[in-house]
Amino acid sequence: MANYYDELLRLCGFEDEEINKERFRIEKAFQRLEIGSQDMNLAESWIRQNHDLELRAVRKLLGIWLKELIDLVLAKDEGKKLVYYGFPTIAGPAAAIASASKDVYCVCPDVVLCYTMGQIFNKLTPILEAGEENGLPPGHGLCSLQQIRVGGMAKGIIPVPDLVLTSSYYCDMGSKADELLHQKYGHPAVYADGSMDSKWGEFPNYLLQRANFLGEELEKTLSKASEILGIEITTEARHEGASRSKKLFGALRDLVELMKGTDTQPLSIVELEIARRLTSGSVSKRVMGDGPNIIALLNREIKERIKKGVGVVENGAPKAMILMAHFSDPSIMRMMENSGLSIPVTVHTTLASRIMKTTPFIAGEKLAEEQLERGPFHGSYGEIKRAAEAAQEFNVDGVIFNYLFNCRPIAMLSHLLKQFVEKQTGIPVLSLEMDVYDSRAYSAAALRTRVETFADMLRARKASSGA
Amino acid sequence: MDQKSLIVAGVDIGAATAKAVILERNNILSFSVLPTGYSVSQAGESVIRKALEKATLSFDDVQYIISTGYGRRGVSFSNRAVTEIICHAAGVSSIMPQARTVIDIGGQDSKVIRLDDSSNVINFVMNDKCAAGTGRFLEVMAGVLDVKINDMGPISLISKDPCEISSTCTIFAESEVVSLRAEGRGREDLLGGIHKAMSHRVVIMGKSIGFRKDVVFTGGVAKNVGIKEAMEDEIGLQILIPEEPQIMGALGAAMVAQADLEKLEKRS
Repeated sequence: MANYYDELLRLCGFEDEEINKERFRIEKAFQRLEIGSQDMNLAESWIRQNHDLELRAVRKLLGIWLKELIDLVLAKDEGKKLVYYGFPTIAGPAAAIASASKDVYCVCPDVVLCYTMGQIFNKLTPILEAGEENGLPPGHGLCSLQQIRVGGMAKGIIPVPDLVLTSSYYCDMGSKADELLHQKYGHPAVYADGSMDSKWGEFPNYLLQRANFLGEELEKTLSKASEILGIEITTEARHEGASRSKKLFGALRDLVELMKGTDTQPLSIVELEIARRLTSGSVSKRVMGDGPNIIALLNREIKERIKKGVGVVENGAPKAMILMAHFSDPSIMRMMENSGLSIPVTVHTTLASRIMKTTPFIAGEKLAEEQLERGPFHGSYGEIKRAAEAAQEFNVDGVIFNYLFNCRPIAMLSHLLKQFVEKQTGIPVLSLEMDVYDSRAYSAAALRTRVETFADMLRARKASSGA
Repeated sequence: MDQKSLIVAGVDIGAATAKAVILERNNILSFSVLPTGYSVSQAGESVIRKALEKATLSFDDVQYIISTGYGRRGVSFSNRAVTEIICHAAGVSSIMPQARTVIDIGGQDSKVIRLDDSSNVINFVMNDKCAAGTGRFLEVMAGVLDVKINDMGPISLISKDPCEISSTCTIFAESEVVSLRAEGRGREDLLGGIHKAMSHRVVIMGKSIGFRKDVVFTGGVAKNVGIKEAMEDEIGLQILIPEEPQIMGALGAAMVAQADLEKLEKRS
C-alpha cells in the first residue's frame, strides 16, 4: 500500500520492493524524526531544486544517506552497539571497529543529520535550536555541528551511544561537546589525545614524538573500544576495515580525477560532496560496500556527460576551488554555481585524495604519520600550504576560503590563507564568512553579493589575460 | 527618439534608498533618489520614473537597464542584475579614473573595494551583517542625541576632545553614548567619538585589503564630513568625495548598461 513518503523515497533511489520491505522501520524512524506527510512537499521540491536527480547515482547517494539515517535512529531498538565518532576525524579506527563485529554500528551522527535532515528535508533548524537550548547556547561562538549532535540527542531522535570516540587533534570543540554529553547521559567516551600545534613553516616536517604519541593514542582508542564494547578487534578486522576504506576512497579518487580532467564541469559540487562525505558520515558495511559501486556508477554517468559535452555551469565559467562545501544546505553551493562559477572540487576533497593513495589504518603510528603529512592535521601552515598546492594542481582561477567564525582552526586562517595563497600562487582568494552546517545566518541570499562579485572579478581577470 | 541615442539607466535599490541614473553616452541626463520603502519592485519603478520625468523621457526611450544593490533581483524591468560592488567601482571610475580604493558606506552595509590601474575590481571586503560601520549606526546615534543627520558632521568638527566609544556593537555603543551623555559630555564630543568609532570599524575592515590612493568615499554617509575627516586621520590619506556620492552605484549600473549595449550593438 502506497504511503505519503513513497515518492520522496523513489526520488532518493529506493526501489518499490525495498520501500515495502522497510515500511515498518521507515515509519518508526520518521515518527521519531518528526517527519510527517506535511514535510513531503517541501522535501520533494527541495531536492528537485537542489539535486541533479537526472543522475541515477545521485538518487542512490541520497538514498544511502537516508538509509544511514534510519539505521542511526533505530540502532538501539535493533540491538546494535552504537559508536559515535567525530568530524573531522582520523579515518581508520572506526572502520576497524565496524569490521570487528556485525553487531556494532559506527557513525558520525551530526554529519548524517546534516546530509539528511538538511540536504533532503531542509528541516535542521529545530535540531540546531534544541542544541542551543541544551548546553550550546547561541551567540557564544560555539560549533553548529556540535549543536546538531547535542540537539539530536536532546530531542531523542538519535540514541545515546554505547561509546563515543573523540579527540581534539583538529578542534577541541568536538571533544568538549562530547564531554558535555557524557556528563548529561553518562555514556563512555574514549579520548584520543593529540595536538596540532606546529610552528609556522614547519610543515611537512614534524617531531617524530608527535606521530609516536598520536599513534599510541589511536592504538589506545582501539584497545579501550574493544574493552567497552566487548569485542575483539583482530588484525583481520583492521585489514578488512582498511580494505573497505581504500575501495571507497579509490572510487572517490577516480571521480576527483575526472573532475580535474575536464573544462566543462559535468557534475555539481553538491553531488560530488554527497559522495565525498560518505567517508565522513559512516563506516557501515552499506557505505563501505555499496558506496564505491554507486560512485562508480556516478563516474560512468559523468563520463557520458563529458562525451556529450554536457556541463552544469556556463561554458568557460571561471574555475574556483572552495575550502569545503556546505554540509546541510545545497542551495548555497547551487547559488555559487548559478553566479557563474565552476567549482569542480573542494580543497578538503583534494586533500582527502592524498590518503586515498596510501594504505589506511593498519597501525596507529603509520596512520598518524599519514595524517600529519596530509597537512590539515599538522597545523595552520600545513593546511594553507596544501590549499595552495591544490589550487595550482587544479589550475583554478580563484579560491573561496569559506571560514566558520565559530571554528577555531578554520577562522584563524581567514587572513593568513588569503595572503599566503595570493602571494605564492597569484590566484585571488575570497575570504567568505559562512557556516557550512547552519545556514540560518548565512543563507544563499546573504552570501550572493560577495560570490557574484568574485565571479565577475575572475571573469574580468580571465578576459584581460586572454584566457 | 533616435534609435542610436544610446539612452541607458542604472537602478540601485539599497536598504535605505533607491537611486536611478539616466545616462546617454557617458553624460548623466538625470538622477533621482527615493526611500526604498517596503516594496523593492515599487521602489525601482518609482525611482526610474522620477529620473525619466526629470529628463523629459519616457520608459520606452531607455534601451538597456542594469539593476544593482541588495534589491537588484527584484527589479523586474532590468536587463541584468550586477552587484553593487562592481557598480560602485564602475561609477566611481567613470568620473574619477584615478581612484584605486573605494569606500562605500550605505544605509545597512559598508564595503572597501580595491581597483587596479585599469579600474578593474581586484579585491573587496564587505560588512552587511552588523550595523556597526553603517548608516544605520549614525541614524541610531542621531536619535539618541536628537540631532539631524545632516548636522552631525559639522557639529562633530567643533569637538576638541572626542569621547572614546569602545563598543563595536551599535546597541552597546548606544548605551555607552547614553552613559557619557549622563556624565555631561558635550554633544560635539559625543558626535566626534561616534564618528571615530564608526570610522575605525570601516578602516579595520579595509586594512585587510589595504588602502591605496586615490581613495574615494561614496554612499549616503559620505555626506558626513565628520566621518570623512576621522577616516582620513586613521588612513593617513586624503579622501575624495564625488559631487553626488549617493548615486555612484546607480551611475555604475548605467555605465555597465552602456557597455553591455555597445557590445550587443557590435555583435549585431
